[in-house]
Amino acid sequence: MPAVEQTVERVKEIDVDKYKYGFSTDIESVRAPKGLSEDIVRFISAKKGEPGWLLDWRLEAYRRWRTMQEPTWAKVHYPKIDFDDLYYYAAPKSTEGPKSLDEVDPELLRTYEKLGIPLKEQEVLAGVQGAPKVAVDAVFDSVSVVTTFKEELAKAGVIFCSISEAVRTHPELVKKYLGSVVPITDNFYATLNSAVFSDGSFVYVPEGVRCPMELSTYFRINAENTGQFERTLIIADKGAYVSYLEGCTAPMRDENQLHAAVVELVALDDAEIKYSTVQNWYPGDAEGKGGVYNFVTKRGDCRGDRSKISWTQVETGSAITWKYPSCILRGHGSRGEFYSIAISNGYQQVDSGTKMIHLGRDTSSRIISKGIAAGFSDNTYRGLVSAHRKATNARNFTCCDSLLIGDKCGAHTVPYIEAKNASATFEHEATTSKISDDQLFYCLSRGLSEEEAVALIVNGFVRDVLQQLPMEFMAETQKLIGISLEGSVG
Amino acid sequence: MDLSVQQFRSEAEQALLDLYERSVDALPGDASVAALRQSAIWTYAGLGLPHRRVEAWKYTDLRAAIAEIPPLLAESDAPVEDTAFEAALGKAFAQLPAYRVVLVAGAVRTELSDVQGLRDAGVEFGALAQMLESPPEWLMASLDTASACGDDVLIALNTALMTGGVALRLPEGVTLQKPIHLIHLDGADAPGSVYTRNVLVTEDGASATVLESFGTLGRAGVQRNAVTTVSLGAKSAIHHIKLQREALETIHLNAWVANVGADARYNAFQVSMGAALARNQVSVRFVGKDAATDISGATLARGKQHCDTTLVVEHDVPACESRELFKLVLDDEARGVFQGKIVVARDAQKTDGKQMSQALLLSETAEFDSKPELEIYADDVVCGHGATSGQIDEDLLFYLRARGLPEAQARALLIQAFVGETFEALDDEAIGDAFAAVSADWLGAPAE
Repeated sequence: MPAVEQTVERVKEIDVDKYKYGFSTDIESVRAPKGLSEDIVRFISAKKGEPGWLLDWRLEAYRRWRTMQEPTWAKVHYPKIDFDDLYYYAAPKSTEGPKSLDEVDPELLRTYEKLGIPLKEQEVLAGVQGAPKVAVDAVFDSVSVVTTFKEELAKAGVIFCSISEAVRTHPELVKKYLGSVVPITDNFYATLNSAVFSDGSFVYVPEGVRCPMELSTYFRINAENTGQFERTLIIADKGAYVSYLEGCTAPMRDENQLHAAVVELVALDDAEIKYSTVQNWYPGDAEGKGGVYNFVTKRGDCRGDRSKISWTQVETGSAITWKYPSCILRGHGSRGEFYSIAISNGYQQVDSGTKMIHLGRDTSSRIISKGIAAGFSDNTYRGLVSAHRKATNARNFTCCDSLLIGDKCGAHTVPYIEAKNASATFEHEATTSKISDDQLFYCLSRGLSEEEAVALIVNGFVRDVLQQLPMEFMAETQKLIGISLEGSVG
Repeated sequence: MDLSVQQFRSEAEQALLDLYERSVDALPGDASVAALRQSAIWTYAGLGLPHRRVEAWKYTDLRAAIAEIPPLLAESDAPVEDTAFEAALGKAFAQLPAYRVVLVAGAVRTELSDVQGLRDAGVEFGALAQMLESPPEWLMASLDTASACGDDVLIALNTALMTGGVALRLPEGVTLQKPIHLIHLDGADAPGSVYTRNVLVTEDGASATVLESFGTLGRAGVQRNAVTTVSLGAKSAIHHIKLQREALETIHLNAWVANVGADARYNAFQVSMGAALARNQVSVRFVGKDAATDISGATLARGKQHCDTTLVVEHDVPACESRELFKLVLDDEARGVFQGKIVVARDAQKTDGKQMSQALLLSETAEFDSKPELEIYADDVVCGHGATSGQIDEDLLFYLRARGLPEAQARALLIQAFVGETFEALDDEAIGDAFAAVSADWLGAPAE
């Protein structure tokens, strides 16, 4: 389908639903008492029936966290978070280990239906005909509700389950890799996550296996005043390949919700992990009230030679985004990629980017970042590219472009480039501009409305990144871009 | 005086406060200047020397680099031979036709300077130390420009301790035919600190080329802190050029702060090749529409040299243009730092800003750190930056060697071509050639 038709269709939809995922599900939930203490950490661990080593690990993180300060270097402003006024655990009451979909609370199933997420295996993603199968792990507040296509994946040897289940069924793998990429001392939010993480996805793709389908996790915050702390761990063994997608939404609430996730990726020799995110947490209302604080630590470790990790992100939601998916290029000849579209509108604040840390020989990385700021928002790209002494022949290409729509928003670029090796070749370029009057005039003279024209031009601006998304999600994302920019013109 | 704002102070940090207290009574200036000094030393006392955790100094840890604070250099009237100029600045710059003003320990050496020539050409000229005793309004305004830099410790220390330098004012419409060459030469005998402040003011429509060169007479370690404030009236122009060729014992801290009026042009050009540690700051603020600036230069560093260039261009008003191009050649264990920031305020529509930094690493152990930054609040702008880092292109080298050039010569030629691009952009051909000559000296290759 040509992009133009989609764009026009999408723009038609804009008026009806601005943030169409803003409903909340009325479902009974079990919560831990408010606040954070060692007892809460023990409570979460006990609730999940975790082994002693994991509890100790959590407690160590908790004690460490108590000594840490919130980072203030990002270009974001928000009132101080009262970490003792949050619920650290919330779970829908009826999910004490459902065996099949029939046992899952129908209210929950309806929620996912509304969100367009297929939990029944015979279904495919809403609105996409003939799309390949996608296995889904659905996380609702603090727990994983259901994971689809488990048997089919198991035949290929792929382990795809919630991380709590993995702790029970594959403790050796979890113990070996958990915290090996993002250590518990890493940063304020990652340490907090290590102490109280509730659930998340676990993927292990064994040696030489190409995962037969796309894997995906769908995160949903529902409960009020609840922090969501999920932990994702993906391991691609030698020569394995996996493509993984996460999506996020939350109901509209006046209070700010905290989301502090940690994602760890490990790629061994010749393995490849492709990680795509479509982040559409509730961004707050037109006055900047409410919305999700998205403070996420994502890091991939190209541990093996010739391994590859590719991050693709589409960031349209959240009141505040603080997120730097990174690659540690440890293996010789390993490759890291980062493709990002970050759109901010209203009073959203985005401070996002990546780190490419070249440690091994012949490593290469590529960064394409497209930031679009509209309304009263601030959109910052912050990135680091570094080559260490032994990173002979490291190569990096960075291109970060910003587009400003309106004169009340801001776009900023803060790249750090550190070359400690002469044979490292780094190229960095960045531009900031507005939508050119010529382009706009051309579209208008062809009969498009101004808003349609802007959406069309913006879709062209971000095309390089859109192309990196799995096929099935491209259409969805293009729609999302139009919706996010609604009201930004005129 | 109780200066206990900062909790912990390194020995050198405390020594700077002691230096101030010891010297304060002898520092030049009337009561208004003394008040500026007082407030500046308080700024310093609160912040201390900048270190890695101060974002603007992320790659240059001044607190770690400065272990001792030598006393303020005393004025000297020891003769300076012509050969000393050549040794310090290179032949080409020593012989450059210009209105020459020689400063030793910040004091103007009139017998070596062409002050009369400057005055005849219509320039208002004075030694800073004397002028501070009863500063005219335009000088006070320039001093306030520096004070407005707030928490910039380098500038605050300079305000607190400045002992010398010159003040130059070009009245309306005055255009100079020759460059003004301010020569700073120190380090003949004992180690010392030298704090100089130069003030450049061009009234509407005036224009001049001002070259500041920094060299060393002997091998005594000098801690230099030199600040120049520049104020450009409407339709005026300044070409502000710097050569830094100080001895390896030197710590060289330098800041240029320019306010650019409507339709004015401020071009800054800097070449750094000396000093153990050099920090070059240039900050340009547009205060009138349709003005332009070009900040360019080159860094040549080897051994364990550390050279930091930090630029800030603030577009506060609409329709201004800024261009930046810096080239770094880094050999041995040298470390080159380039930080450039373009800030475009909400009202500064039609801004056009471009920035480029390129590093050529000649050895496995050289290091280049770069932070090109854009901070943009206006939507009708075209801004961009680029940064590259790499080694000599093997294909180019092969081409030259295939033409019969020995490897060393072929490399030198490629390096010269790399930095030469910046020299060629200079309007003043004689100065461009002089830079080509000193950079050729640096490379050890014969000049053309």
